[in-house]
Amino acid sequence: MQPNRLRQVLAVLVMACTLPCSLFASSHREAPITALDRTADITDWYAFVSYDHPDRVTMILNVDPFLEPSNGPNYFPFDPNVLYEMKVDNNQDGEEDITFQFRFNTQIRQPGLFTGFVGNLAGFPAITALDGPGSEGLSLRQTYTVTMVKGGKSINLTDGRTLFAVPSNVGPQTMPDYQSLFNQGIYDLGNGVRMFAGTVDDPFFIDLGAAFDSLNFRMGVGGVLTPQVDGDDTHNYAPDAVAGFNVNSIVLEVPITWLTVDGKLHAAGEKQAVIGTYGTTSRPKITVRRSPATALNAGPFRQVQREGNPLINELIIGTGSKDKFSMDDPKNDAQFANFFLNPLLATVFGTIGIPVAPPPRTDLLPLVIYTAPICPGCGPKDAGPIADLLRLNTGIPPTPVGKQKRLGFLVGDVAGFPNGRRPVDDVVDIASRAVAGILADPVKFGTPIGDGVNTNTEGFGTTFPYVVPANSGRNSHHVGPGQEGCTGQPGGICPVQ
Amino acid sequence: MKTTVLLLILCCSTAAFAQIVPTQSSLSPAEQSMAAARKLIDKNPKNFEAYNALGLALSRRARETSDVIFYTQAEDALKRSFEISPGNFDGERTAVWLLLGKHEFAAALEKAKELNKKMPDDVMLYGFLTDANVELGNYDDAEKAAQWMLNLRPGNLPGMTRAAYLRELFGDLDGALELMDMAYQSTPPNEAEDRAWILSQIGHLQLNSGKLSEAESTLQQALAIFPGYHYALSNLAKVRIEQRKYDEAVNLLQQRYNGAKHAENLYDLAEALELAGRTDEAKKAFAEFETKSLLESVRADNSNRELIFYFADDAHQPARALEVAQAEYARRHDVFTLDAYAWALHMNGRDAEARKHIETALAVGIRDAKMLRHAGEIALSTGDRTAGEGYLHKSAELNAPGSNQARVLLASLSEPKHE
Repeated sequence: MQPNRLRQVLAVLVMACTLPCSLFASSHREAPITALDRTADITDWYAFVSYDHPDRVTMILNVDPFLEPSNGPNYFPFDPNVLYEMKVDNNQDGEEDITFQFRFNTQIRQPGLFTGFVGNLAGFPAITALDGPGSEGLSLRQTYTVTMVKGGKSINLTDGRTLFAVPSNVGPQTMPDYQSLFNQGIYDLGNGVRMFAGTVDDPFFIDLGAAFDSLNFRMGVGGVLTPQVDGDDTHNYAPDAVAGFNVNSIVLEVPITWLTVDGKLHAAGEKQAVIGTYGTTSRPKITVRRSPATALNAGPFRQVQREGNPLINELIIGTGSKDKFSMDDPKNDAQFANFFLNPLLATVFGTIGIPVAPPPRTDLLPLVIYTAPICPGCGPKDAGPIADLLRLNTGIPPTPVGKQKRLGFLVGDVAGFPNGRRPVDDVVDIASRAVAGILADPVKFGTPIGDGVNTNTEGFGTTFPYVVPANSGRNSHHVGPGQEGCTGQPGGICPVQ
Repeated sequence: MKTTVLLLILCCSTAAFAQIVPTQSSLSPAEQSMAAARKLIDKNPKNFEAYNALGLALSRRARETSDVIFYTQAEDALKRSFEISPGNFDGERTAVWLLLGKHEFAAALEKAKELNKKMPDDVMLYGFLTDANVELGNYDDAEKAAQWMLNLRPGNLPGMTRAAYLRELFGDLDGALELMDMAYQSTPPNEAEDRAWILSQIGHLQLNSGKLSEAESTLQQALAIFPGYHYALSNLAKVRIEQRKYDEAVNLLQQRYNGAKHAENLYDLAEALELAGRTDEAKKAFAEFETKSLLESVRADNSNRELIFYFADDAHQPARALEVAQAEYARRHDVFTLDAYAWALHMNGRDAEARKHIETALAVGIRDAKMLRHAGEIALSTGDRTAGEGYLHKSAELNAPGSNQARVLLASLSEPKHE
């Protein structure tokens, strides 16, 4: 539906629409479209082979952008009216073969209490548990279910347990050991399945203000990074606009054998190793007049948003078609091929003096069909339809923590974007370079475009659930130009220019 | 400002700008948006989008405070936007919104139709089409536009709240509650006023379907989220009246009137004072209401509905009631106008015409205890006792504001039989 975060940011660039930097925190919701439906707004979609379990895949669906930690209490982290889904295609036809569904339920446990979370106050002990003693102050609490749909059958994966979503981090008086609450929200459901849902620090990183100012990146000239900045994977040279903001995250880890077409593990060179993934949000179809005796939530659902490959939506789809794109299925994406083979953003790069590959951009095809280098085992007949899927070769082993590169595939870290997507992958820089044509010719069109934000300010998890706990409502802050938070700069002060 | 549906509109676009300024709890969402837009204008006085945003924010402030001065300021902001960028779409769309805010429904409908042709995929324009058609009484067109909203973007808040209101008008109170609950769950926590607004509507629906104690707690919750909220005050006052806590109702309505000195607010207060037995104060308030309401009677944004009932029931000047009702009927044919018109006709002894109009209103489906009671009395006056009693029974069954009077009437009807 509404353009998600990146999609919107970059769409704005394309339109040369001018929203000043100071708007950054809201620009995502500024368009009337987004304002219409925030809780179903997908911010990011990730899929990668688990770092510590090369036989498992982890998928992350993040929704509801820019949650301000202090702007709490966030009563309803997830929307009980929304059907959240993770979808996997395993036979190169662009259609999902396995779907994981998540539904949330809100409990109001202390109806007399006006705030969602209370601890060390009014007779309530501090919140130290999601359930049982120590959870009394969680007045508003969410439970959820996870269901796998495969071959027309629905299988409940909750293992007979009640799963709780981790609430927003209110602050140290209410939640003295938030890390412990976060840990309690990690569930081992057996059979190699792990599950987490809750409010977390948004792992995404970008200098949004500069991006909005018509690509007026602060580092280098015209957004071209120096070799030193380009090669630094651990410091930021420009303000991370998402720093200090939270997002709602659903993280699921399952065995690769659950996802492949034949239930087996495959080597990277075999086509069966490659899956295509995407995340969706859907809402029940509503009619003004109710049909008699039909429960509303039992009715059919309509997809309101999807995200596969971040690159496609953000850089390629024209703003006038974004809604249509959001509501349609990936297998029908050939209708958008026109946008795809002549990306407007490339023209924008061209006008600021960056060499760009000429259309038609067949170099971008590997992102939307099954082919090498992500699927070296796929022949011409296995390409499948043009479809915005985040394609992952499960036969490529994970790169160990510490050796992962923010530029992923572009610099030889083949377990990174666009072979799937990990939280560490700097998709802003990778995507910008891909649009310029680095995949067509890394020498001619390989300008090191970048925003100077190279890592997530709050870091990354090194194991499941890979996201890190939510920023504290009382004690966290954001990062802006002229402020602290750019570790690559002298004194850690972010540049204004 | 009437408490009708225009409010629904505001659930959307401005929500965006409310997020811009980091939380400043002392400022309402609309004030935050206003501040953010003004900051943009200071930076770049040629930024017409910022003027549009300011216009939206100001009209939202009008909803928060029910102070119409903000509509005037919003118009000024739009004027500036058009000076910089003549005919810009966002500005034009906001202009429709302002027309609705000023109750210029026919003009708003024309303009919304025109813009809809230009931009057929714009969801909010369908919202404005819904609003204008609802207010004018074009319910089929309103339903079509609202369904478009729901189809174009499933689950969108402005679409759900509008569909909820239509369900209410069509008599499906449970269905309206269901959608309002969904809308509430989808509203961001920091959108305090939106949440309070939805809760006020839920409270209203609960009250009208006889769930008095639920309504009470919902409305108290709305006031806790957005203290002093006028919609919540007025609905809670209705709850208090049902509970026969008249003095409490007076206090709530006094609070509302102090915050927004509109004629219709004064009318509610005067009625409550009368119920509380504070006759002198009531008399004074009614007199003041009459003066105030007559001054605005010819304007689009008026308190004519209250004025009609005032002349008909309180001042006992049926001819004047009919005069106002005819003027209002010339403007719009929504169920509430039809009800007031029918009542004025009835008070002037024109019962056959009255019955035609009240039955047109009820045919839309609305189940409103007061309206049904009117229908009952009108039908009895036409000599149709069966129909009259039927309406009165329906009114009594709702157990909502207006039901008591229906019960009293029914009891008086059965008395002669026992003689």
